[in-house]
Amino acid sequence: MEPRGEVFVLGLVLSIVVLLISVLISVWARRFTRSLGDYYVAGRSIGAINNGLAMVSLALSLTTFIGLTALIIEGVYIAVAVYASFTAAFIGLMILAAPYLRNHKSFTTMAFISERYGSKTLRYMSVVVMMIVSVLYLAGNLKGIGIVFFFLLGVPEVVGIVVGGLVVTLYVTLGGMYGVTYNQTFQTIVLLFCLLLPVAVVLRALGTAGWFFPPLGYGDMVPDMIEFVPHYFWAMLEHPITYIAIFLGSFFGIIGLPHFVMRFFTVRDAKEARWSMILCVFLVGLVNTTVYATGFAAVYYMSTTAGVDLTPAAYDYMVFILVEALAGQGWLALAVAGSVAAGLSTVSGLLMIMGAGLIHDLYGELKPDVDDEKKLKLSYLAMFVVGVLVILFSLNPPEFILKAIMWAFGIAAAGLGVPIVLGIWWKRTTKQGVGVGMTVGSLIAIYGWVMIELVGMNPVDVPFPFFNTYLYGPMGWIKFTVLAVTFSFILTVVVSWLTPPPAEELQRQVDEMHGWTDYDPKRYNSKVLPIAVVFFSVFFLWFMTTLYDVFPK
Amino acid sequence: MKDYKLEVWATLICFIIVAVIGGFFSSFVVILNEVFFTQVPTPEGLVAHYGETMFLIKENLTVMGFPLHYFLLIMFSWIGVTIIGAIWCVIMDRIEERQRA
Repeated sequence: MEPRGEVFVLGLVLSIVVLLISVLISVWARRFTRSLGDYYVAGRSIGAINNGLAMVSLALSLTTFIGLTALIIEGVYIAVAVYASFTAAFIGLMILAAPYLRNHKSFTTMAFISERYGSKTLRYMSVVVMMIVSVLYLAGNLKGIGIVFFFLLGVPEVVGIVVGGLVVTLYVTLGGMYGVTYNQTFQTIVLLFCLLLPVAVVLRALGTAGWFFPPLGYGDMVPDMIEFVPHYFWAMLEHPITYIAIFLGSFFGIIGLPHFVMRFFTVRDAKEARWSMILCVFLVGLVNTTVYATGFAAVYYMSTTAGVDLTPAAYDYMVFILVEALAGQGWLALAVAGSVAAGLSTVSGLLMIMGAGLIHDLYGELKPDVDDEKKLKLSYLAMFVVGVLVILFSLNPPEFILKAIMWAFGIAAAGLGVPIVLGIWWKRTTKQGVGVGMTVGSLIAIYGWVMIELVGMNPVDVPFPFFNTYLYGPMGWIKFTVLAVTFSFILTVVVSWLTPPPAEELQRQVDEMHGWTDYDPKRYNSKVLPIAVVFFSVFFLWFMTTLYDVFPK
Repeated sequence: MKDYKLEVWATLICFIIVAVIGGFFSSFVVILNEVFFTQVPTPEGLVAHYGETMFLIKENLTVMGFPLHYFLLIMFSWIGVTIIGAIWCVIMDRIEERQRA
């Protein structure tokens, strides 16, 4: 893919404006930070609307703007199914975890797991899982910023990664969680306008009648699309376990992604946590359905326009190519500014949780005598160092950014999502069960990622007893999520049953999280939940081995 | 105990609905088509079998121009889950008020 060939001044100016406002917001927000609690969880003072808007920009990263369009071009219907599941997963996160995590009063996911199960070892283990997940997630998003810079200036992606990374590191370090929250709110408003408007103009240029409402505005173009791409709306090219893998990865992955969970520790109470999710999922759905329209428009444009012959590696640029070709440079500038905002918001949330994990959960545990003031100073330093390290790691980014994100979801689901959900809903879960489940589950997902993405093996050739035969198909790699999450669930439940029940003070936390002032050992202690969890896990593993002869290998 | 059961049942039902309409709906599009499992699922084979219409779509079975399954997927996973989530929030708000009282 070649850059545009000249500096895109208008896009550059709008992007710099977004970057400058972000830094200014952080400088302004710094005045609110007086303690460690202010720095990490904004003094638990954020309201539902503010938190909901901030969650939106966390969710709508550059993978949404850039990666999803590329995935729709590659995988068509299944890409929409992936994001439909991601959208619904926010309500899964709310129903299973959000308000209960807020009631627990922890600072981070890692602190929650440690305190809920009474184990420092689990805290250290979850910090390691969190770092792997966050780096994978960050690498994808920083590559997205690199893509935007490459397109704007024609400079190598690496320059964008370094410049974008340094700016976001600066404003996260300066403003802490207050700065991150207000920035994310600002960036949500920017990206809503900067996505919806250019896509509407693109659809209008393609001649669709419903261009003014992109999410549902392209129905009259469907017959033409089917003529050009007959299988565009077909869902059957993959074994259904692929969709179950997407479900497990998105629903439990989002619960395990610490930068999402951390937002719930910032709100005033559980009610605010709940309603912030409703606002969030409505806006996330609005944007995602708009991106489906973008993907549709991209495939339609490629199919109908002579001379558009892009390599798969260039699909990540398709949003910009489309907007420039069909809407013009003014709209392209808006799309670029929206992309920058989307990238910055997600990166800032991830840097925040990585800094908190290192200082609050690791250093704070190893050196419990250190006072909060020193921890706060160290947090500034840690955040800066983490930012620089991530930039260095991201210099060799993944080829497709959304694929890296989906691996991150799988690891997060098995390593952190499972312990969180069982910790909230089943008192009998023990630290030994979580230790075994978290270790095996996350190692399976990490192993799959290393062998497929780093070593470059075909999924069916990855040494994995019995199951590797069934990792076939265009998205065979995502079936590792099924293995990781189901093994994590099964081992956590079985080992918990085989070990002594946790102390009453640990079980009490479950009642408190659910808002009860009294303690009743019968609550959240039913045998039905663990049996159902094991049953469905085994069922999914079995289902993966069925229908072998039906689907293309 | 009454509020506890209400919380558990409301959560279970809402989660199942959200999981089905958001996470599993696409797989049902595949699973429910029994004819499909006797076919070779390649685009070429499916074109031959279904003609120029769409999978699980009969002539004129569209909503706003979209194939029915696609329309349901995007609307369920967006508006559908938002409504289910809001209903769950209202139930939890009421339980919380009683817990405080």
